This record gives sequence, C-alpha cells and structure tokens, in this order.
Amino acid sequence: MIISASLTLRCLVAVEKACEHYWKPFKSDCEEFLGCFQQTESVRYEEFSVIWREMDFSSVFSGNQSHHEKKSFTRLTFTIVCNYLLPPYSFQIRVGALYMLYGLYNKQLVWPKEKIRVALKDWFHIQQFITEAKTCQHLDVVYIFYRLLSDKAFNFTAMPKKLTFESSDRVQHDVNEDFRARRDKVAELASVEMLEEIANVHRHYERMKNSLLPPSAGVTLQNLGGAVQKCTLEYKQWQEQIAGARSKDATKKDANQKSESSDRADMLAAIKSKSYGQLTKESRSRRHRRIEMVTTGSGTEFLFHHKKKPPSLRARTYQTLGNPGESEQTQQWLLSVMEEDKNALKRRDFKRFNWSETE
Amino acid sequence: MAESSGVTLNENVPVFEYTDVSSKEFHIGAFRDLWLNALNLDVYSYSDTSPEIRDVQLIEEMGIEPETLEELKNMCSVESLRSEHEDTDTVPADPQLSTLKLRKRRQEYKESLTRDHIDRHEAYANELEMICVGKKPEDLGDLVPEGELILTFNVLYPVLFQRFKHVRAYQTLNVLGSQKLTELKDAICCVSDLQVFGEFSNNPDTVPQFISKDHYKSAFFFFNGTFYNDTRFPECRDISATTIDWAKTRDFTEFETAKMEDTCFHDLKMKVGFPYYYTHQGDCEHVVILTDIRLVHQDDCLDKKLYPLITHKHRVVTRKCSVCHTYISRWVTTNDALAPTDPCLFCEQCFRLFHYDDKLNKVGDFLAYAYVDPGTFN
Repeated sequence: MIISASLTLRCLVAVEKACEHYWKPFKSDCEEFLGCFQQTESVRYEEFSVIWREMDFSSVFSGNQSHHEKKSFTRLTFTIVCNYLLPPYSFQIRVGALYMLYGLYNKQLVWPKEKIRVALKDWFHIQQFITEAKTCQHLDVVYIFYRLLSDKAFNFTAMPKKLTFESSDRVQHDVNEDFRARRDKVAELASVEMLEEIANVHRHYERMKNSLLPPSAGVTLQNLGGAVQKCTLEYKQWQEQIAGARSKDATKKDANQKSESSDRADMLAAIKSKSYGQLTKESRSRRHRRIEMVTTGSGTEFLFHHKKKPPSLRARTYQTLGNPGESEQTQQWLLSVMEEDKNALKRRDFKRFNWSETE
Repeated sequence: MAESSGVTLNENVPVFEYTDVSSKEFHIGAFRDLWLNALNLDVYSYSDTSPEIRDVQLIEEMGIEPETLEELKNMCSVESLRSEHEDTDTVPADPQLSTLKLRKRRQEYKESLTRDHIDRHEAYANELEMICVGKKPEDLGDLVPEGELILTFNVLYPVLFQRFKHVRAYQTLNVLGSQKLTELKDAICCVSDLQVFGEFSNNPDTVPQFISKDHYKSAFFFFNGTFYNDTRFPECRDISATTIDWAKTRDFTEFETAKMEDTCFHDLKMKVGFPYYYTHQGDCEHVVILTDIRLVHQDDCLDKKLYPLITHKHRVVTRKCSVCHTYISRWVTTNDALAPTDPCLFCEQCFRLFHYDDKLNKVGDFLAYAYVDPGTFN
C-alpha cells in the first residue's frame, strides 16, 4: 500500500518530466520546418501553409494522451516556438515562428485553449518586429499577429515560463546558427549617430589644435567623417556586386571549390596527425613528470552532446559538507503489513519505458 | 536590418538573474503599470469585440482596403492548416515527425502494460480544475477587474517522513495582486495547523476540540529581507523577533518587519522563481516560490470570492490503522509495550479495544496522542 503511494506520488511529477522528453524531438521537428521555410526564401503565408500541410504538422498533437499530458505538451510547443520569435533570429525565421504559433494555437486539442506566454521583456522585441513587417508591407504577417491578439491567444506574463526552482527545468536553448540574423556590422558602425559623433569630436580636436599650434600638417585625416562614409558606401557597393556575381557563378565554382577544399582537408589532416601523434618532448626540468600522449580521439565525444543535469542541491551539500551516516535500515512500516500482502516486500520488476532509446 | 542595441529596460521589467532559475527583483505594481501602458484595453478586456468592429480596426491599423482584408482572411484562414489525419486520438500510421515517432513508441509501451496505473493525482487535478475554470460570479461586484494581476505561488510541504523527502510535495495557489498577504496565509493548508496537543492516555474521552490553528496564530512571511508578521489577533506574537535579534549579532544586513494585513501583493518587490519563506506554529516552515505573474485572462476564473484559488494540491495517502488497515488513524501511541512499533497508529475503535478493558481501565503502560492525518486535505 505504501509502495503504491510512493509510485503515485511521483505520477504527476512524472507527467511533467515526460513532457521534457518531447523537448528534443519537437525542437528538431521545428528546426526541420523552419529550415524548409527558410529555403523558400519568402515570408508569405501561402508558402508556409504548403509546408505545414506537407509535413502534416497538425498531427503533432494527436495520440492517446491524458488531458494533463496534452496541456503540458501544448505549453511545451509554445515555449519552444516562442524562442524563435525573438532576436537573434533572422526576420524570415521570426515570421515562420509567428505562423507556427498561429497554427499550433488553432490546432491544439485542449479546451480551454492553452495560451501563448509573452514576457514583458520580449514584448518590446515583438512590437519592433511587427512594425518592421508593417513598414515592409508584409500584410499577412501583420494580419496573423492581430488575429492572434484579437483571439486573446496571449497571456501577458513576467517571465517566459513558470519558474519552479526544479533543476530538471533548466534546459538550454542553443541558437541555431543557420537561422541567426546576419548583423550588418559595417552599417552599424557607420550609423548616422556614429558619424555625427565622429564629426563633432573631429571639429573639436581641430579647433583645439589650431588654437595651440601653428596650422601645420596634422597627423589626423581631414574630414574624417566624410572618409568613413565614403568607405562604407564603397563596401556596400562591392558587397552587392559580389552577391550578384556569386549567384551566377555558383554552379561553376562549386566543382572547383570541392576539389580545392578536399586538398586542403587532406593537408590539414596530415598536419594534425603529425603533431598529435608524437610524444611531446620534455624539457629537462620536467623529466620527473610522465610523458603524456595527446590524441585527437577525445574530440569526437563532444559531437554526441550529453544533456548534463546540474548536480542537485543534495549532491552539492554532500560534496561540501560530507555525507552523513545512513540511519538504520529497519522498515517499521512493514511490520504492520498483512501477511497476504507479500507484494509489499517484492520489488516491482516491470520493464520501464526508455525515453531516449535510439532506433 | 540592424536593430538598436543597448536598449535599457525599465528596472521593473523582469529579467533573468540566473537564466531559467530566477528573475531579478522588481516592483509588482510598477510591473503591472508597464504592461497596462503597453497594451490596448481591448487586448486584455473580457469582452470580445464583434467581428465587424474588429475588421474596421484592422483596416485602420494596417492602412489597407476592405477587399485586401477579405483576401487576407481567406488566405490565412485556419482551413489552410487542415490535416488529412482526422482521428486525433491515434498517431498517424507512418509518422515523419520525431515527436510522433516518440509518442507512438510510448503508446505501444502503454498498451503492452497489463495494468496501467490509475493516475490519482491527475484525477484530483482535474477535479480542482472543474471547480474554477471559466467561473463567472453571479454578483458582478465580485468580478475580478480587468488588468488585475494573478500571482502563482508554490507552497512546499515540510518533510514529514524521511522516506518521502525526495518528492517535493507542494500546493499551488493563485492569488490576485490586490489581495493582502493574510489572505494567502489563511489559504495555505498545513496539517500542523490541525494538531491537538496533550497526552490523553488516562482520559481518552476528554480530547479537547481546539486545534493549534486557533491557539497559535503567529505567522510570518519572509520576502527579500523583510519579515511580514501577522498581527491581526492579540495572541499573535512577533516570532520573527528572535531571528532578527540573532542576525544583529552576526554579520547580516538589517532585517525589517512589516504587517501582513497591511501589505498587498502590489506593494511588494519580489523575484520570480526565488524560494521564499513562510513560518507558522512557531517552527513549521514552508518554502514559498513565486512561480508566475500574469495579467488576468478572459478564460480564467473571474470570481473574486474564489481567490486564493488552489490549482494543484499534492495528494497524500492517508495512513490507516495498523490493526485493521481499514479506518483512518486517530491515535498514535508511544512507549507502548503492546504495540508492534514505536510510534504506532490506531483508529478509534481499535485503540479503545486494544488499550482499555471492559471497565475502561488502562491496560499496560503507554502514552497516547491525538493524531491528525496529513491526508485530511484530500
């Protein structure tokens, strides 16, 4: 009787934890979806809906689950997709994420509907995003957003998800580099404010110099602000030129590049094997230390990323303060169990479900 | 497009202090004002705007023609997301999505089990939800005002049995931002409030009816260096005084005190996700975590009288009598030569039959105390 208690005590916690196992597969589904969307190179809703129907994404909610499991899973989908709606992702990816939220919200099987949580700090980014879409006349993006707003699909919260201080909830969201927005660093550097600032400082300097020394040739450039502007303009033009040329020569260059890169790869591999395979030569002073062989084998382990759980509070306490002695093992509750109830003594030996079994 | 870097947010916009763990401190009332300033009234109001008015608003907002809007509506309708797989209770036959593959495996595993666990916790959670979902009050004076904040607190139970200390049992309470701290305090159900003191082996019939909740009313919350004491009743004592005095002798910052009944949640500065503290009955300590703050939504429970609302309660199994295993235990004995364990639980009948003879004399030597089961709140 008490054993079943401890099992059911963990049931509700287990449901929450079960949903975490869906984190990785759902994230990979999302990335696949957004990858397809990225390839269409468009932000139109029609393209999005074609991909949605092809991948049959609505069926992601199907299955024989309990009401509570369905709610947890729906919340999980919103949390994952909302990450893609915010910087540093590119505009197209963010549009894709917004469309996905619209699809997931309308196709969820829970009633009352689970809402999409928006934290205050993220609301400003979303508003900026919608303003951008409006100025570029992406009417479908704007319409979808206002549709979600008027359907009261959002919950306006303090933080993006509930913070329960459970160590199991701390899942890292790694930014997918392919979806990241490419920052136009040159334009950022030579922005209007920056140029004004440069011009001001330059003028100030010139004034001071003229008042102190005779007007001889100085060390600084004349008209620094103008020079910077000219450079950035030239760079932009060059960039556009290259972009145009690249799309033309894409197929031609591919073949050349492949052979080049393979040669280079061979060369690199040869160099690496030479340096790492050798024993590192000791200096005389360190002769007492053992010779260590550095291999490249260790690198491959990092390819298979193990989800490292942070050590629990209990483990950390034992580490710092030492493990207290275990109390005696007599299980007093068993003494009053009925004779027939031998199940209490037997350990349940059923096969547990392995969430991370690779097929 | 280059975005403006270095946007300094108002200090009351919650941000992570430790990512995914807890946020920095912010003032709750100011946070609410920030949200209300950022949104239009109709976004968070309870009433639904009629479709015609919505269309007009959209046309104005987006600066387009009515025909364009109609076109957009047709193009972006939910119909475009229709799936061929109509039956949502089963996973489609040949799933391509990894999520579905995992779910299919799980479903096959569940079907292979000869006996599925009946999830008592979930049945309980469903019951709780039924009570409060979409509840609108009959008296409109009790309607939660629009733009009100709902705070969610997890109150963890203190560990009673060493065996179950690995399960962090908790109850979840939703409170309104305008409610006072005392209302939260009254809503927390803890079994130590119901304890009856005294040893009654010699006079089992005279168990008094008072419970600890009536006698020991002192309690405090500890949020961010301030002790909020309950001073409503004359019996309440300032039990935080000992801690404050002790802290003064060590190297701690000065702690402050305030009254629980004068503070409402809007006045507090809190961190989300950070463990705080609640003590009552002198030494019954609970960890309290503020897990979530959000604006009230149309689909929430809108009856002010039902708040603080319990949305999740950990269901504890009731401990039965060690003799009959049928009735809930009411007595616990120690130093009992007749009982198999020390301490030992008995229900009312078994206790009488076991320890007292026909003439109601005490048999054997023992100490008996009234026992309140932790599962009484189920």
